Amino acid sequence: MMTIDKELLKRLPKTFVPALNEQLAKWDLLFPCEQRLIRGQLDYLRALPAKECQELLQPVFLLEARMQLPAWDAASTGITVSQTSALVRSPLYPQWRIEVETVFARINEALEGRAESRPLNKVLVCVLPAGLPLGPGPIWPDLARRGRTVDLGRDFGSLQSELLRALAAGASAEPEPVERTWALESAVNRPDSGVEGWTTLCFEALAPVRRAFLSRLNLIRKDLRSLDQTYAALAELDLTPFLDPRMKGDARMSAFIRELFLSGNGAVLFGNSFVQWGASEAMRRAQPQVVYCAFGIRPKLKPFSSVVLFEDQGRANPVPDEDDPAASLVDARRLAEYVMLAAARLPSYRDRTLCIFAAADQSSALVIGPREAQAGGDLLSSAAGWLQSSK
Amino acid sequence: MDRRDLLRLALAAALEKIPAAASLAGSASPNKLVLITLAGVRRAETFSARGLENIPRLHGDLLPLALFYENCVNEGVTSHFNTISSILTGVWQHVDDWGRDLPRNPTLINYLRSQLGLAAARTFVVSSNKALTANIGAGGTVILAKQLLIEAVERIILGWSDKPRLDRELLLEELTHVMQQDYERIGWEVPGPSTTMEPKLKQTFLTALANFMRGPENATSGDELTLMVASEVLRRVEPDFLMVNFSDMEIAHSGVYSAYLAGIRRADTLCHRLWSLLQSLPAYAGRTTLIIVPEFGRDPDGSTTNGFFNHRTDSEETRVTWMMVLGQAAAKPAVVSEPVRHVDIAPSLGALAGVKCQQSIGRVLPGFRVRA
Repeated sequence: MMTIDKELLKRLPKTFVPALNEQLAKWDLLFPCEQRLIRGQLDYLRALPAKECQELLQPVFLLEARMQLPAWDAASTGITVSQTSALVRSPLYPQWRIEVETVFARINEALEGRAESRPLNKVLVCVLPAGLPLGPGPIWPDLARRGRTVDLGRDFGSLQSELLRALAAGASAEPEPVERTWALESAVNRPDSGVEGWTTLCFEALAPVRRAFLSRLNLIRKDLRSLDQTYAALAELDLTPFLDPRMKGDARMSAFIRELFLSGNGAVLFGNSFVQWGASEAMRRAQPQVVYCAFGIRPKLKPFSSVVLFEDQGRANPVPDEDDPAASLVDARRLAEYVMLAAARLPSYRDRTLCIFAAADQSSALVIGPREAQAGGDLLSSAAGWLQSSK
Repeated sequence: MDRRDLLRLALAAALEKIPAAASLAGSASPNKLVLITLAGVRRAETFSARGLENIPRLHGDLLPLALFYENCVNEGVTSHFNTISSILTGVWQHVDDWGRDLPRNPTLINYLRSQLGLAAARTFVVSSNKALTANIGAGGTVILAKQLLIEAVERIILGWSDKPRLDRELLLEELTHVMQQDYERIGWEVPGPSTTMEPKLKQTFLTALANFMRGPENATSGDELTLMVASEVLRRVEPDFLMVNFSDMEIAHSGVYSAYLAGIRRADTLCHRLWSLLQSLPAYAGRTTLIIVPEFGRDPDGSTTNGFFNHRTDSEETRVTWMMVLGQAAAKPAVVSEPVRHVDIAPSLGALAGVKCQQSIGRVLPGFRVRA
């Protein structure tokens, strides 16, 4: 576990302390790059002369003095939903947010300048499932203008196994395995048997965990105390009995799944939201070199059941299950774009990510990325070559 | 509601002299006011080149009749309860997002009741939004239609009812049961001397539920139920002020973009249907002003808050939407580019009704005709 000296803690704004303490308390559950970043930020602040540190943080201190904040102190660990709500409704919240972002941008900029090695090249793959009602034009008309369409000579689905192997082989062996290759999938359909080294999270396979969450979320009454209590209980819930045997011993991945489901954004309810939000969080937190997103076809929302989203749509509803390919196309197309936008926000992915967009039953793919990443060759060798070129 | 809320309500009532009588009777204003708030919808999916396909009724049928404000700004907290409180008070509110507290200033409902002597049942809020509570319309009548639907559906799904499945007739029975037995528990604020609902109001709601379940539209959503309830209230109670809230588009929080768009399209249809109904009712035709306004937009694509899923950023996409005024106050249809604010709505509607929203920081909307 990482600790922080009390003198440094005293120099930090009140609003920074609970979240920082929470991160430090669960240090072993953080991904390597999260640990590196926090350690770097704290070292930077510790080394900063008192006057410069005060100058850096002063705008936040000034705002905090004018805000009605929860009673946080140096020992506070974590921020409840009630406390977040109180912070967000402050008239000064928008300003506070800007100042906090400015502080971290300045710290991170200084850290980037000191970095000994540049980040690795990345590959991001977003695949739509077969069976969607695709039109004759490009699937992503806006994105198509920013990249090039590659003829594959066969359906993308039939080369997935080869691509996964090529990507796994091309990824750098230097970082820890959890920083190399991640796959987020809506349904269990990735032909990855025999492909080693992938960190795979599947919405369908996580059904027992999701059910455990939903059964507790259903009990929330309409008040913040109930919400806080339920979230606290879910934060303590032992996921081991619900997890795939391969993940049972992995406390860090178990914590990642828990936080993914607790952070909302539909991840516990809809497969494609799970893929998008899971990929965004994986890139923000673990920064894997390869992210593979396999979107799926969701069922039609059932009448009446769909007003109660925290419920199993099939329960007590006589309407039979039916796939909704048309709506799934609208959802997945937009969410695939969101995965790329999430990558573009992150310094470790920006300008060094080769993005591949495809549909499993189409024989072409859209490739977007740095010019040098798209230089010639077939898709597999281009992607693997791009990963290796950063070694 | 806790002791502090009760004290504040009592104080507000004393200050605004809210009439103690709570019956369906009361002096009617000559001008009828109807306000529709839509939950979070971005201009990108509505009044933009690409968004128009989602709002054929608002754009094609209603815009030519409207005073249309291209830039309507929410400068407050972009959460549901705070936004609607700001709209109704004319002051930016920073209260509990979950509706645990009353707005800190009197609402349009308070002003209408105190200055015109209206009874509680002359002002109605019919809401779809789960984040609202009766505090949003304190002093008036508050019907949380979607909350009723959720409660009835949950009771069947979770086995807390003797109805075994979600078919229309069984759900109607459950809705009727919850509405009659538990309307206070689910947060409705209905005027009456006791916990028994006034027969005329009860019949209004029963008819709305039957229309929802058995009507030709095959309705299923919370917003459709909200419209059915609002329509029956207009037909049978003829309130002077009605606020309706549509929120099916909030499924965007779960990332289902197609359902978010479907929610916008449904709201488009329902707004048009409500406007048509107002034109057909003698109590409303020719003397009604309807305002349609989104509470806020949604976050920009690529934002750290996950874009359209949420509405938290201090950005133009989240803060700036549009507003449409129809009817009496829109004597000269026009498109107004000058920015207006949510806090301008209460003083504008108040001026139309002949009341002054003393604590509002807003102004009467430009081009908004207050007198004939």
